[in-house]
Parts: sequence; C-alpha cells; structure tokens
Amino acid sequence: MYKGLERLDLDKRLLYVRNILIFSLSFLVVGLVYFQLIKADEYVGLASGNRLRMIRLLPPRGNIYDSSGVPLAVNVRTFDIKSYPMDLRLDEDFEGVASLFARHGIPMTPEGLREIVEKQYVAPYRAVSVATNLTLAQVSDLVMDPGFGQGLFPSPVWRRIYPGGSLMAHVIGYVGEITREDLETQRDPYYQGGDIVGKNGIEAVYEEQLRGTVGDQVVEVDSRGRRLRDVNYNDPLKGNDIKLTIDMATQREAARLLEGRRGALVAMDVNNGAVMAFFSSPAYDPNPLTWGISSKEWSALLGDSARPMLNRVMSGSYPPASTFKVVTAAAALMENVITVRTSFFCPGNFQLGPQNFRCWRRSGHGRESLIGALRDSCDVYFYQVSVKLGIDKLTKWAKDLGVGERTGIDLPGESRGNIAGREWKRSRHKEAWYQGDTVNYSIGQGFLLMTPLQIARTYAAFANGGRLVTPRLNAAKPPEWTDVKISKAHIDSIRAGLREVVRVGTGRVAGGYGVEVAGKTGTAQNQHRNDHAWFVGYAPANDPKYVVAVLIEEGGSGSSVAGPLVGQMLAYLDRHGK
Amino acid sequence: MLSESSYSWGEIRKGLDWPMLIAILALFALGLISIYSAGAGVRRSTAGYAVRQLVWGALSLLAYVAVLRIGYQNFLKQSYLIYALAFFMLCVLFMLGTTTRGALSWFRFGSVGFQPAEFGKAALVLFLSRFCHRYPPDVPKHMAGALALSGIMVIMILLQPDLGSALVYGSIIFAMITAAGAPGKYLGGLAAAGIAAMPFFWSSLKAYQKLRLVVFLDPYIDPQGAGYNVIQSRIAVGSGGLWGKGFLHGTQGRLHFLPEPHTDFIFSVFAEEFGFVGGVIVIVLFAFLFWRLLRAAFRTKDARGKLLCVGVSAWIWFQVMESVAMSMGLAPITGLPLPLFSYGGSSLLMEFFGLALVQSVAISPARDKFASIT
Repeated sequence: MYKGLERLDLDKRLLYVRNILIFSLSFLVVGLVYFQLIKADEYVGLASGNRLRMIRLLPPRGNIYDSSGVPLAVNVRTFDIKSYPMDLRLDEDFEGVASLFARHGIPMTPEGLREIVEKQYVAPYRAVSVATNLTLAQVSDLVMDPGFGQGLFPSPVWRRIYPGGSLMAHVIGYVGEITREDLETQRDPYYQGGDIVGKNGIEAVYEEQLRGTVGDQVVEVDSRGRRLRDVNYNDPLKGNDIKLTIDMATQREAARLLEGRRGALVAMDVNNGAVMAFFSSPAYDPNPLTWGISSKEWSALLGDSARPMLNRVMSGSYPPASTFKVVTAAAALMENVITVRTSFFCPGNFQLGPQNFRCWRRSGHGRESLIGALRDSCDVYFYQVSVKLGIDKLTKWAKDLGVGERTGIDLPGESRGNIAGREWKRSRHKEAWYQGDTVNYSIGQGFLLMTPLQIARTYAAFANGGRLVTPRLNAAKPPEWTDVKISKAHIDSIRAGLREVVRVGTGRVAGGYGVEVAGKTGTAQNQHRNDHAWFVGYAPANDPKYVVAVLIEEGGSGSSVAGPLVGQMLAYLDRHGK
Repeated sequence: MLSESSYSWGEIRKGLDWPMLIAILALFALGLISIYSAGAGVRRSTAGYAVRQLVWGALSLLAYVAVLRIGYQNFLKQSYLIYALAFFMLCVLFMLGTTTRGALSWFRFGSVGFQPAEFGKAALVLFLSRFCHRYPPDVPKHMAGALALSGIMVIMILLQPDLGSALVYGSIIFAMITAAGAPGKYLGGLAAAGIAAMPFFWSSLKAYQKLRLVVFLDPYIDPQGAGYNVIQSRIAVGSGGLWGKGFLHGTQGRLHFLPEPHTDFIFSVFAEEFGFVGGVIVIVLFAFLFWRLLRAAFRTKDARGKLLCVGVSAWIWFQVMESVAMSMGLAPITGLPLPLFSYGGSSLLMEFFGLALVQSVAISPARDKFASIT
C-alpha cells in the first residue's frame, strides 16, 4: 500500500533544517560586530570625510550647417566657476563667494547664489556652476584674488553661438538651460540641473542627435576641498553634426524680400520636400536667448506687437482665400461634378436663397470655364461648383491635399490650421452647416485656415504630378510622400489654369523675372484690418522644380504685394540652379 | 470543494500564531521607517516610496487574511496549475518582457510592475510540497523527477538573467528535498555537481555580472564602478557604530552616497541610523520568525504542510542572509530585496502570501482538535 512521505522520520530532518537556518544568522551578527563595533571608528572617519567629488563634463553639441557647409550653430569655449554644495553650506560661504564675484565686476548676491546652487543640486559631492560665461581674462583675474579657493574652481565649458543671427532663428531655434519641469518629466535620466538642451527649432527636434554624451570626472579632495588626485575620468563625446537642406544665400535673399514686412516666405523642392528657404518676418536674434537674458528682456520679446517669436511659416494660420480654388477645382473634377469644359455665367454675384455672394469683380466675368475661372480668379464660378459638389466631398479632397493636417516638417510647434467642415462646426459653434458656408469655403474664406507651409505643400503636389511630399530640413532625412491619387489629365488642366494666371491673368506681376512661373494669388479678408496678401507659385511652369509661398500680413491685394516676391524668389532659385 | 477545507473566522482566531504575525508586522514597520529615511535625502526629499510601500503593505495584509480563509490545502490542490501558470508567465516574459536594468524581469501595467520571478517562488514551494509528498525523493527516480521539474523553472530564471532569484530557487529546492528525505549521498552529489557546473556558469555571465560578483572580494579593484556600492555600503554600516546615528541622521544615505537606498541597500540605511543594536534586533526578529515558521511544521500532522513551511523558510532565509551580508560587503551584489523590509510591491505581496500559507498550516491543527471534540 502507498504510504508516501509518512514512512520517513520527517521531524528529525526538520530539526536539522531549523537549526541550520537559525544558527547561520549568527554569521551576520559576527559581521556586524566586526564592522560596527571593532572597525566602527575607521568607518566613522571615512563617512565624515567622504572625500570623493564628481564633476559632470558636458560635451560640445553637434554643429549645424547649411547645405553648402556654412556653419549655422557652433560652440565656443568659455569658463564656468564651479563648486560643490557640500563646500557651500554656511551663510558665510555664500556671502564670501558673492562678495568675491562682486569685487571683480560680476554682479551676484548671496540669495541669488543660493538659488543658483539649489537649482542644480543633485548631491553634495556633485559640482554645480556658480558663475557662467566668463572669459579667460575674467577667470584669471578671479583666480588671482586671495579670496578665491575654498572649493571654487574654474572649468571650461562650451557655449552655443549662431553666426547667422536672426536669419535662421525660426529654423535653428536655440538652446537654453533645462527647466525643473523638464527634469522631472524626463523619461531617461540623462539630464541634470544646469544642463543645456534644445528649446526650439532644429536644436529641439534633433536634441538626441546633437547633444553628445556627457563625461564625468571623479576626484579626491582634502579636507579643505583642494583636489588631491583624479580617481576616474570619462571623456565627453561631441554630438553629431546636422546638415540642412537650406542654403544661407537663398535664406538671405528671402529675408531681403520680406524686409520691413510682417509675413512669411517658404521655398521648397517640389519633388523631394527639401526646404530651400524658410523665413518668418520679423525674426529675432537667438544668441542672447542661449546666453541667458533677463526676464524683462524676455517679456519684451514676447510682448512685441510685431510678434517676432511667432514662426509665421508653419505656426501662423490664415484663410487661404483664392489660393484654395485649386483644391475646389481638383475635388470637382475628381468627383465628376464638372469637366474642364463645363462653364458657368458670372454676372458679378451669386444668389443663394436670400443670400447674395459677390464676385470680387462687381461687373462680372461673363461665361467662364475652369481654366478661365482660375486665370481670372472668378469667385462665382467656384460658388456654382461648390453648390453642386457639397461640403463633404470638398473636405475629403482638401484633407487628401494636406489641409488641416500638420505637414510633418522636422520642426516643433507646427500649426494644424483648420479644415472646418460639418462636424467641426457642430462641435464648435453648435450649429448646422449651411450651404452658404460651403460657398464661402469654396474660395478659401470662412472657417478655413492654412499655414504658408501647408499651401506650399499643396501646390507642390500639383507641380509634381500628385504626390503630397513631407517638407524636411535635415538633408540626411529621406524624402517621404503620399500619393493623392488625382488623375494626370485633371492635374494638367489645373496647371494650365495656373500658368494662365501669371501669363495673362490676376498674377501677371509674378512673371517677368526671367523664369516662367505658374501660380495663384489670394487676398484673405481680415476683419477690421487691411487684407492679408498671398501668392503661391512654382517654376519652371512646364517642368516645376521649386514652389514658393509668400504671405504678407495686412499686405492688401495678393497680386500686387506678394506676387513680385514669389517671382523674384523663383527666379533666384532658377538662376542659381539650386 | 472549497468549503470543506476553507476556514471560518472562528477557526482562524482560535489557531492563529500571534507571535509569528507580530514578528512579521514588526519587521515590515522597521522596513517602512528605513524606506522613509532612504527617501528623505538632503534638499531632495520624498515620502512617496514610504507611502506606496504602506499601501502595498495594506494590500498584502488583505491577501494574507484571504489566504487564511481559503486555507493552504486548497492552494496545494491547485499547486500543479499554479506552478504551470508561473512557468508560463516566465516564458511569456522571456519573449516580450520590458527591460529594466538589463534584465527581463517585469510585467508593466501602467506604473505598477509585477515580477513573475517573485510569484514563481511561492509556486515552487507549493509544487514541491505536493510533489515530494507523493513521490518522496529517497529513491533516485523520484529525486530526479523533482529536480527536473523544478530545474526548468531555475533555467527560465537564469535566462532572464536573474542570478539572485535563481539562487533563492536553488536554496528552496535544496532545503525541501533535504527535509523530504533525500539521502545524504544524493545531496552531497547534488552539491558537488553544482560546484562542478560553476566554471560553465561563470563563462556564460556578462562582463558586468562577473564584476558585480567579484568586487565584494576586493572592492578597490573598481572603486568608482561596481566597487563603489560595496565601499559606500560598508562605510554606511560600519559608521553606524553601536547605537547608530539616529533616525534621519544617516549621512551616507541622506547625502546620496548609497545607491538604491530604498531597495537593495535598505539594510545599510537601517544599520547606519540604528547601529549594531538595531541590526541585531532585526536579525533576532528574523531568527524568531524562522523559529515560529518551523514550529508550525512540527505541530502539523500533514507532511505536505511541513514541507511547505520548510520551503517558505528557506526562501526568506536565503534573502535575509544574502541581503544583510551584501550590505557589509560579505556577499556579491545580487539585487535581492530584504524580505518585508525592502521597497517593492510584488516582492512584498508574495512574501506575505508565502507567510500566510505557513500561518494557515499553523492554524490547521486547531481544527483537528476542534473536530475531535464535536
């Protein structure tokens, strides 16, 4: 019969196990006797004089270059004065150091110093920067002072400068000290207080690539904080360089064209999305921001009524106005609502129930078909088309052409614009969508908003035969696009219309600069103010390479103000064979 | 099925080993104090760890009571299933686990992590209690079966790789088959085989693991790397002296010289602040706990219950030995938590679960008496 375990004398073995488990613990007690009683004095001494200090060695960031190798963001050496929090504990310490700096013309108060130390604090034996951005002359002056010592030491550091100044501010962005919030929310514990991170632009988007690898140095010091010897040293590693698609000379031309105006200019390769000029006016100089500016200067910059910090190319949203007519046309053609020969009569206005919609030309255009309607920018033609098409089909094609979606450019803070439509109006205004809204929508007015970058991208899709490319600034980033699926014949019709615009239509002023341009004007209504002026065009008209979009805030009529700027920029790009 | 061997409140009250429970709660309370102290660094302070540990402690206590109500017999009935589940979880983890500190050892649900290796310890104890009872390892065939079936779990743990937990599993297996009657010559052979396998095992380790294993022999071969922890922990313990520096006055912990003060080096934090006296109190509390755990084994007539007590004791014992010895630099750094002490939800929960099974064994003889009266 099965008896199992009961046949064994289990309890005898249990006794062994119990004795071993319990008496083996005495080994631990012996250990404690040795370390805590016999060797206690030695370890108390080691603990009170823990003499190891750590210094974090920040690496130089990777450089940023333009497409021809001109440096746009580089590093220069300056000096920091560092110290250890464990050597700065008493009020006298803070007062002594602050008065030392004050004696040598570096403004500092004990309270300010305490704040600086708190902000960077990690551990008492980890060095913090007490003063930053000192020149070699300032440092040698300080070191000679008999009051220098007591745990203070100079340390070379890298500072970021932007040789292009305000020219590239909206592209490159700037760097600055990491904030408390960023430190607390960072996923990988790479950063520490006092570290420099990209705050905007390319500097922020490619932070991980540019930042490099920090090094560290562990030193042993004596009881007065003087260094005795290096215990460990790991070199910091420089970050990776980045080369942009933009060329500095083209950018300078863009800045020249926009000088004295509030607006944006963006130029892009229609086939691969490489951005060739990207300028928002007015711009700001990023250099003071990286070296640290006072909160007064900062709020002055933010409060400026011309809004220099606003990146109008991709964060400014405006009604696209007549530049949107190509989208209405493409949607109507693809949905078979019209053909290229369908014509409507424009008497100068359009009556929809009780509502009267005017054409920009009061006297009317007479009978117009697609190419003529684009050429003359006839509003009534597109009113008629939109009523037949309906809002849902129109927004579907608008979405496919990039309206209401971020372009995906490698910069932070891009605006989505607003594609509006039925659902949007219901949730936002608690109102149904009326046919009158569709009529307004067809000529790019009403709730519709786009950024200059979005418009450039939409036109690039017509110019390159139907591919919606993703704009990119990093030359190493592979081109990306999606196929919009508009038939070749329809694209050709629209392009024929855009060519007529510049040849004989509303956009003649964009021609005559030495390259054949195709494009579209736009005049966006701006409540109580002067209208915003648009022009977007591509060249050469028969084999497009570049697209340029210009928006001038309160510029008035698109054709007279924005048209010549686009013409000149396209001519410049063509002439220099970029 | 459940009702016949589950326990009523009256039975639990009657049979509960109060001294055992009080020792457990005392150790948890001392751990909580240390976790609070470890979090309260100079100028960068957080009570977050202590609060979370308190919440986990409350949850664990609920689980403890639930286990007492259900009764260890019901867990033994399902032990093969539980063991298979633990094995399955380790396999899944091996395939898709999230990486923390170079080792695959966590399931993450939002901010809550779960370590299957901890669950596996309890599963292994339950499994071997039943298996060694049915197939006593005094014959080679049975012993080989026990070793093979428990060995695959150890291999999964080693694959993670989690050396510390694998050693815990090893000590559980060794203690349980010893108690279950494996002849001395087999046990000797097993120990010899283990020693013989060391060189193969060593060559399979990654460089950082090797370094962590040897630095305790001479921490000064790498004073700023792997040896740093050993040196700083030894300074913490040693500088505690006879009476310690007092609660919240440990400089090593508060000045951030100690790495991972709330988990791996929790005993160092405690020993720095409460000294030799405090350290000995903790060790005596653990010794008392082992005595009560094995007292339950002596008093039950159920051989499976006896083995279960041995398994849980061996599990807790190994982690105490390793964690305390490590804090003095007398054992390699393996990252094992000090039971009931270290911060960590899933390890605390599983320790309470294992200890509840033993408490349930302690309660069971009272029922037998109760039954004989009626």
